[in-house]
Amino acid sequence: MTILKGAGLIVAFAVLVAGCARAEQSSEPAPASASTVTPAGETPIPSVPPVGSPPPAPATAAAPDGQPGTNAQAAATVEFQDRIKAYLKVHNEAETKVPNLKRTDDPKEIYERQASLAKAIQTLRANAKIGEVFAPEYQPYFIKIVQDDFATRSARDRKAIISELPKNMKVDINTVYPTTLALATFPAALLQKLPDLPPELEYRLVGRSLILRDVKANLIVDILRDVVPTIPS
Amino acid sequence: MVAAMIRNVFKRFLPVTVWLAVATVVVAAMADQAQRPPATAISAAPVARPPVGENSVRFLVLGDTGTGDRAQYDVAAQVWKTHLVFPYEFAIMLGDNIYKSDRPQDFARKFARPYQPLLDANIPFYASLGNHDDPNQRYYKPFGMNGQRYYTYQKTDVRFYALDSNYMDKDQQAWLERELKDSNAKWKIAYFHHPLYSSGAAHGSEIDLRTIIEPLFVKYGVNAVFAGHEHFYERIKPQKGIAYFTSGGAAKLREGDIQRTPLTAKGFDTEQSFMVVEIDGEVMRFQTISRHGLVVDSGEVARQVRPETQP
Repeated sequence: MTILKGAGLIVAFAVLVAGCARAEQSSEPAPASASTVTPAGETPIPSVPPVGSPPPAPATAAAPDGQPGTNAQAAATVEFQDRIKAYLKVHNEAETKVPNLKRTDDPKEIYERQASLAKAIQTLRANAKIGEVFAPEYQPYFIKIVQDDFATRSARDRKAIISELPKNMKVDINTVYPTTLALATFPAALLQKLPDLPPELEYRLVGRSLILRDVKANLIVDILRDVVPTIPS
Repeated sequence: MVAAMIRNVFKRFLPVTVWLAVATVVVAAMADQAQRPPATAISAAPVARPPVGENSVRFLVLGDTGTGDRAQYDVAAQVWKTHLVFPYEFAIMLGDNIYKSDRPQDFARKFARPYQPLLDANIPFYASLGNHDDPNQRYYKPFGMNGQRYYTYQKTDVRFYALDSNYMDKDQQAWLERELKDSNAKWKIAYFHHPLYSSGAAHGSEIDLRTIIEPLFVKYGVNAVFAGHEHFYERIKPQKGIAYFTSGGAAKLREGDIQRTPLTAKGFDTEQSFMVVEIDGEVMRFQTISRHGLVVDSGEVARQVRPETQP
């Protein structure tokens, strides 16, 4: 039974990773480069496996202790990606309502554009609720990924990460990330384990929460609370 | 009888022992003080020297600048004075370009105004992002990021890679590997905010990041790496053939934060600082200059050639 459970977890994780592999290229073209500058490519949008792709593995590895099995995880992955796509639709619609973002000498243009985009998205998502993108079905996997990652770290490393996170910050969805606070560095090894995101979105840790942040609008899109483990004093 | 002898010995020698112990403590304290001199103790250090090479690639290194406070302005004045002696052609920024509030007026107070002489002299800046920077800074033209969070550019035979170490996702890694692999430049210089090696008490080495990107640096022959984040200057002993510098004190200072470890070749944490660098054929020469214009470290790095990275 233990072997079956272990195998189930491995298969489930493989399905999660495979499900998050991206196939589409970003529609955002790289801006024209200066004479000596080669611009970096933007990140592609993650995709749901195309129609006709093999179905998720059967639920033979369902865990006996109430943990969701492979089928449930595959479905949760698809659900999460669908919700990301749904958010991108909103983001893209909001982008059409504001001037194009371009390189400028005037920081006011950047500032106003960011604020306008945030406002447009806030209006379009006026009724957004926590868990709208971090689908409830998917939340246990996020929590497990983060907590497993922290479990592999030394006490010093955990402390170093946690000490950099903004604290006592009230975060709420569909609100602007406070510009006076640092965007804490996202632990690079943990980032490798989480599902890919399109360039419009990024993960960030705030206090004990994992947040999804809209990069161009500086908006908190969704929150998953109590993900980051506490450090025993 | 024996007790009386012992008493006698103590009586005669104890005062001497006590004085010796006190003297030892005082000398040790003085030695410790000498190891970490106050700013005034380095007043005998020379001022910046001009570049050596006629056609060398010369650049300025600034880290953790965007406070808008007196220290930033003092360092900026020194940066410009140094240009008169060492005419660098461009500046690289190691992140935390705008601390805290980043309203339009903050770009003026924390960047454009202190570095106005450089901007007036058309000295381009090439910034990387720090943990205090909004990624939308990439659209601010004077930062030279061309709308990208990470990017590369070349100056004669030197290729520079400005990375976003705040968010090292798989796409950035893939991009970095591709760009490193495709380049036949003689020198490859990477810079970003978080140091892969550091003796700082506040932060320390960024091990996650090191695990991911250092193998690429080694494989594709990166010669030198510049980082900030720690508010001091530290030259690390070469690691895997790569020269590592931390220069994150061009405005902020975390005084006394360097916990000297076997990593440290040279540390300076008693005053703000910045660097000027020239790459001249097979040699990279650097000078680290304090807020008050004193050279606190200088040296040369010979280009490391790894057989597997030969074009």
